[in-house]
Amino acid sequence: MGEELLDPLIHTQARLRIMTTLTALPRGDRLTFPRLQALVEASAGNLSTHLRRLEEAGYVEVVKGHQGRVPTTQVGVTDAGRRAFDDYLARLRALLAAPAHAGADGTAGTTDDQET
Amino acid sequence: MDDEHPLDPEATAALIAEQRARVEGATAVDARVLFGAWGLAWLLGFGLLWATALDEPLVAVDVDAALAVFAALLVAAGVVTAVHITARSRGVRGVSARQGALYGWAWFLGFAVVWALAFALRRAGAAEDVVSLVMMGTSVVLVGTLYMAGGALWDSTTQWALGAVITVVTVAALLVGLPHAYLVMCLGGGGAMLAAAAVEAVRRRRARGL
Repeated sequence: MGEELLDPLIHTQARLRIMTTLTALPRGDRLTFPRLQALVEASAGNLSTHLRRLEEAGYVEVVKGHQGRVPTTQVGVTDAGRRAFDDYLARLRALLAAPAHAGADGTAGTTDDQET
Repeated sequence: MDDEHPLDPEATAALIAEQRARVEGATAVDARVLFGAWGLAWLLGFGLLWATALDEPLVAVDVDAALAVFAALLVAAGVVTAVHITARSRGVRGVSARQGALYGWAWFLGFAVVWALAFALRRAGAAEDVVSLVMMGTSVVLVGTLYMAGGALWDSTTQWALGAVITVVTVAALLVGLPHAYLVMCLGGGGAMLAAAAVEAVRRRRARGL
């Protein structure tokens, strides 16, 4: 069941919420950091950590700028991130459709989530 | 956010569905609210105008008061629209925000022309009925055309169809003439908007699942 494994970069509650939120926006849109934080109900530090992981994987882009004198951070999903999420959904659908998916809980290495 | 528990496929699917609903509820413009607000304003406003403009008025309100009520209803629908869109677009940046702002300005500038035209016609001594017909015709042409343009832009058949229906209803209203043109706009225009709100409600109920 090697290719049925779910992308471990997405398959945690926090990053799944982040990716679901960002891919639910129309293509080309980004969310400000505070708005994203409110929608995924995370602490700022926790959200930053997860965003860094996703940014390193090329799934999201974090754009820093200024509005007047106030620094702003905007977060959006990249094309690669959308593809990865579509892929994730396809595998999830396959897992759900499998006759006896008990036992195959779809997790691929939960060990790399220890830092959260 | 709790990452302690491993997610099984069902829990994962449930989480995605819940999060999508939350994001849609918080950031997507709800067409039911907008169509509903404008539909009610037209239904009540044009209905009142018709009831007062009849040879034997159904309600004893003079025309100026009816026009003031209609204007207040339109302003109220405008406020609902502005508040709703502002709340939903908070914290959203990028293409759709720019699109929305540019589209919003098209409405504003278009209606500035309608009001200036009414002002100019009155100053030129046009009869009140003429001013009413021109205002109704031009403002509704603008609404219908912008809905059709918006429907094309956002790939919304419902919105395009609403614009087309409103445009056809306006043709009918202008051919019928006053006072019954008001009734045509009340039922045809306001009714079409409320129908669009209902269509949107059904579409939402169907669009569930991964």
